Amino acid sequence: MTRDTAAAALALTLTGCGSSGAGSGTTPGDVNPSGAIVPRAISWLLSRPADGGVITAMKQIADEYAKSHPGFSLNFITTPDRPSYIQKYETLAAANKLPELFDTDATPFAQKLAKQGNMVDVDKLLKDLGLYDSYRPAALDYQRFDDGSLYMIPFEFQMEFFWYNKALLQQAGVSVPTSLDDLPATCTALRKAGITPIALDGQDQWPLERYMAYHPFRTAGPDYIKNLKKGQAKFADDPGSSAVDWLNQLGQAKCFEDGFSSTGYSDAQALFTSGKAAIYNIGTWELSSLATDKLDPSVRSNVDFFTLPTTANSVTQANEFVSPSGIGMAVNAKTFDPLVRDFLKFALTEYPKVYAATGALSPTTDVQTTIPSNATPLYQKAVDEASNLGKQLAMPWDTQLDPTSNTRLQQELTLLLQGNVSPSDFISTMDQTIAENGPKAFQQ
Amino acid sequence: MLPRRSRLSVLIFLLPPVALYCIAVLFPILQSLFLSFFSWDGISDLQFIGLDNYVHMFTGDVVFWRSFANAIGYLVICLVLQLGGGLIVASLLTTLRRGREVVKTLYLLPAVISTVAIAFLFQRIYSVDPVGLLNQVLQWVGLGGLARPWLSDVNTVLAAVSVPEGWRFTGLYVLIIYAALIAVPAELEEAARLDGANAWTVFTKIRFPYIRPVWITTVIMATTYALRGFDIPYLLTNGGPGQSSELLTTYMYKTAFTSTNYGYASTISVFIVVECLVAVGLIVVLLRRKADA
Repeated sequence: MTRDTAAAALALTLTGCGSSGAGSGTTPGDVNPSGAIVPRAISWLLSRPADGGVITAMKQIADEYAKSHPGFSLNFITTPDRPSYIQKYETLAAANKLPELFDTDATPFAQKLAKQGNMVDVDKLLKDLGLYDSYRPAALDYQRFDDGSLYMIPFEFQMEFFWYNKALLQQAGVSVPTSLDDLPATCTALRKAGITPIALDGQDQWPLERYMAYHPFRTAGPDYIKNLKKGQAKFADDPGSSAVDWLNQLGQAKCFEDGFSSTGYSDAQALFTSGKAAIYNIGTWELSSLATDKLDPSVRSNVDFFTLPTTANSVTQANEFVSPSGIGMAVNAKTFDPLVRDFLKFALTEYPKVYAATGALSPTTDVQTTIPSNATPLYQKAVDEASNLGKQLAMPWDTQLDPTSNTRLQQELTLLLQGNVSPSDFISTMDQTIAENGPKAFQQ
Repeated sequence: MLPRRSRLSVLIFLLPPVALYCIAVLFPILQSLFLSFFSWDGISDLQFIGLDNYVHMFTGDVVFWRSFANAIGYLVICLVLQLGGGLIVASLLTTLRRGREVVKTLYLLPAVISTVAIAFLFQRIYSVDPVGLLNQVLQWVGLGGLARPWLSDVNTVLAAVSVPEGWRFTGLYVLIIYAALIAVPAELEEAARLDGANAWTVFTKIRFPYIRPVWITTVIMATTYALRGFDIPYLLTNGGPGQSSELLTTYMYKTAFTSTNYGYASTISVFIVVECLVAVGLIVVLLRRKADA
C-alpha cells in the first residue's frame, strides 16, 4: 500500500473539501509562474470565526476581484474550532488534497509540508509582490519556522494584555503587580477579600499554557523554548524549574477560579466582565468586548490593562510580550498559478485598509486602525501599544512544542495548578516526554 | 428450507449489505492492523517498524494503561446505569397499570437528543460558577460541603463523564428489556406464585432465565458501546484534567489527529477492536455457561 492509498483511505472518514486541482502547480521558489490568468473557483481552508474581521474583509475583497475576473470565486471552508480544524487540515494534507490556500501555525508538521515543496515561499512571494516591507516585522517573525524561513502570511496582529478591574484590586488593597513574582501575593490578597483573582478559560488549555511561557521568557528569553522543545534544554534547568515553582505558587494561592479546568472561554470572560474576577489575560481580539460600550456599565470605567510584568532578573524588556499574528495562511505550491498569484496581489494590497477599518490591528504598518465610535479611551490606549513593542517575541508554547509534548504539557499543567502533582513530578514527566518526542519531531 | 431459487434471491439481496459491511467495517480494521506495523505521520513515507508500536504500547506508555483503566471504570458505570437501571425501570414498568407509554417516552428522550446538547447540558449541571443544578441541589438538601467542580476534580471526573453516557441510553435498554419482560408467559409466573414463590424467586427463576437471550444481546450492545465511548468525555473534558477521564478512544484520537502518529493510533485502535471482541466472547461464554448450569 502506498502512502497516498493509505492517506486517501484515511481521508474517507472525513469531510473532504477537495482542491479544484485546476492549477498547474509550481516549485515553491517560483513565485511568479508564467501563463495567462484564467479565473476559476479557489478555496481557502481556514480556522477563523465565520463572522470575524478576517473573513468579512476577505469576502469583500474576493467579491471585488470577481467583478473584474468573471468566473473567479473564493470559497471559505472554515472550522473555527482549532482541534477540529487541525484534524481536517492534517488529514487533507495526508491525502494530498489541500486547497489553494490553507491556514496553519508554524508547527513541525507544517515545516515538513514546506520541506516537501507543498507550500509557496512566502518570503519570496511578498518581496516579489512588493509588499514585504509593509508588514510589521513581529507579525512576520511570528509566522517563521525556527530556521527563519517564512511560509505563512499573517492576517492579523494582536497583543495580549492583563486586563484588570481597578476597583477590585483597590478593594483587596493591592496594586498592579510589577513583577511576575508578585502575582501569587496579589492572588492571596484578592482571595482573602473574597474575589476571584484571575479568570481563566482552562477548558481550551492554551490560556493556561501562556502562563507556562511567561516566566522563562522573562528569565531566559525566547531561546529557552526553542532549545527546550528539541530536548537541548530541560525543565530541570533554572528557567524551567523557577517557572514551575512560580506556577506552583499560583496554584497554591488559588489564582484561578474554582473549577477553572472545565471553565470555557465565554464563562471565563463573563467572570471578568461581570466584575467577579479581578484579572483576565486575553488579546486585543477582545477589544470590542472589553473597551467599548458593550461592556457592563458598572465595570466599564474600572477596567484597565497592564502588560506582562517582568522579573527581578529579566532578560527581556517590559515592552516585549506575547504579540501573535494569529494562525497564518499558507499557499499551496501544487495549485499555485498566475490566477492565485494575481488574486493574492490584489487581496494583500487591499486587505490592510479594509481590515483596519473594522477596528482591528493590521499586520502591516501602512494603515491606521479605525477606532469604533462606541469605544472607551482604553481602545486607543491598547492600539497605541503596538507602536511601543520591543523586538523579542514571547511565543505561545502551543505553537512551539511538538504536538505530543504539547498535549502532555497542557494536561500536566492543569494537574500542577490544581495541586494534583508536585513540581518535581511535573518536571520529570515533562522532561521525559520531551526527550521522547521533541528531538524526533524537530530532526530535519 | 427455502427453495433453490429463493435461496439465490436471498444471497443476491444479502450481497450489497455484506459488501458495504466489508468496505465500511472490515477494510478499516484491516487497514488499521496494517498501519499498526508502521511509523507514519501522514505526509512522510510509511516506515516499517515491526512490532515496535505494540511493544511501546504494552511496556512503555503509561498514558495508554491509564486510559485503559479509565475505560474499564467508564464501562462499569455505564453498564450499571444502563443495564441495572434499565432492568429495574423495566420491571417497575410491567407493574404499572397506566401511563406506561408516557414513562417509556420520557426515558427514551435522552437517546434522541444530540450528543453535543447533552454535553452542554451536563457541563451546566456540573458547573460551580455559575452554580449548576447538582451543586445547587446539594446546597438545598444541606450537603453543600459536597459541592465541587465535578469536571475539574480528578476524583470525580470519570464518574461525571460516565453518568451522561449511562443516563442517555438507559431508556433504550428499558424498552428492550421491557419488551422481553412482557413476553414472559403470565401463566408461568402465576403457576410459580401458586407454588409459593415470592417476587424475587419469580424474577430469578422465571423472568430472568426467560429473557436471558435478550439480556445477552443488551449486555453485548451496552458493553461494546461503552468500550467505544468517545463523544461525551471528549466534549466535556477532552480527557482531563490530566488524564483523569482519558479513554482509549480519546487517547487514540489525540494520537492520530493531534500528534499525527497514525501508526501508533492504529495500534491503539487494533487493541480496542480486540478488546471488544474479547469482551463479547467473555459475555457469551459466561452467560451461556450460567444458563447451562
